Amino acid sequence: MKTFDPVTLATPFFIITVILEIVLARFGKLKADYETADTAVSLTMGLISSLAGVITAGASFAAAVWIYQHRLFTIPMTAVWAWALVFFAEDLTYYWFHRLSHERRIWWAAHVNHHSSQHYNLSTALRQTWTGGVAGTWALWLPLSFLGFPPAMVAIEKGVSLVYQYWIHTEAIRRLPRPIEAVFNTPSHHRVHHARNPRYLDRNYAGILIVWDRMFGTFQPELDEEAPRYGLVHNLGTFNIVRVAFHEWIGIAQDIARSPRHILGWLFGAPGWSPDGSRDTSAKLKAEWAARQTAPPRAERDAA
Amino acid sequence: MGGLFLDPEGERRQLPAVNAAALIQFAISAIAVAAMVGLAALATRGRGAPPLDEATARRWLADEFPGRALDGLWLAADGKGCVARSDDRALILTRMGHGYAARQIAWAQVSAASLQDGRLRIPLGDVTAPRAILAMTAWPPKELAA
Repeated sequence: MKTFDPVTLATPFFIITVILEIVLARFGKLKADYETADTAVSLTMGLISSLAGVITAGASFAAAVWIYQHRLFTIPMTAVWAWALVFFAEDLTYYWFHRLSHERRIWWAAHVNHHSSQHYNLSTALRQTWTGGVAGTWALWLPLSFLGFPPAMVAIEKGVSLVYQYWIHTEAIRRLPRPIEAVFNTPSHHRVHHARNPRYLDRNYAGILIVWDRMFGTFQPELDEEAPRYGLVHNLGTFNIVRVAFHEWIGIAQDIARSPRHILGWLFGAPGWSPDGSRDTSAKLKAEWAARQTAPPRAERDAA
Repeated sequence: MGGLFLDPEGERRQLPAVNAAALIQFAISAIAVAAMVGLAALATRGRGAPPLDEATARRWLADEFPGRALDGLWLAADGKGCVARSDDRALILTRMGHGYAARQIAWAQVSAASLQDGRLRIPLGDVTAPRAILAMTAWPPKELAA
């Protein structure tokens, strides 16, 4: 059976829309904040990620095929119901992959570079990982092949999800009609996901359907009174692309070398985890932020 | 993709053609990346972030280090960053694109840093921000040197 790669097909669309966003923003026709070095890093990360992906794609696809040979059911790739089913199954898998990628440091190391821009525009969508294959998160999709979805079908659906998530990386679209915002991941929901404001940290992990976040308690709407500030809790102080790609892996290695007996914590703790709790995790930052909201203003404290 | 495992012999015959197509696609993508970066440079020329002033620096520092009182604030001469003192800590902002990277280190490290060619080089010991380089007219500041 002939198959296709949605990402390859969409590449001309990516290029045209980035160009349009830059030009229209230049003439004040839409909101988009581009910066040359930042754009160069984002697009080069995307370009090289396509090469890096090839290196591990064979192994991950071979694993999927091996699993598929031991499948529970045989799901036909030609049936409409099968495509409907794989859409939901893949999107749910993506939610958990994405959540894990934010909540466990070893997988955050592979994903962090996607969040490392302080800008939020279509080029940010292309700031993709070089180390996702090595991190092994592709294994999360293997149960779909075990259920009986053909590996090619799963790969196509993953591509569809990636292409969908491209257009939501924009400030040009404010809010979509309420029924769409209720069901789908939108630019507004995803701006929250990319924000570093404590209130917005670790929220909106959805791929296509935002309903998973609503179901699992990780949904946060974008609030008019709190504009998203993009990037990392501790923003990068360099545009060096090698540091952008590997900094968290290097940080993990340094931590393990410094304190090997805490290796499990360094690898599988939350990003920012440390044995003495001295570093900033999302949970800690959110708790401190929440405490500040209920604390009396500083002037009142000083007067007391 | 499906043929990879259903027809191994056929797949092997197709590999050179696939590789050539992939290389061409990669080359075209690389040219497109260069063009888009060039376009971004042209479109944003003269539209960089304004030099950091004291009010903006204080706002950024308040966001980055909530609740920290500032004992002193020194702006870089080119408006691309600042150093602030908060008790025994130095709070540092350095320009990154249209935003800033913020770090805190011991004040003693900053006060010991020396000025060379009008630039204060502060090692931050952080793989994500190895050093801060700030244009300063004098260092340490007169009020602290006294």
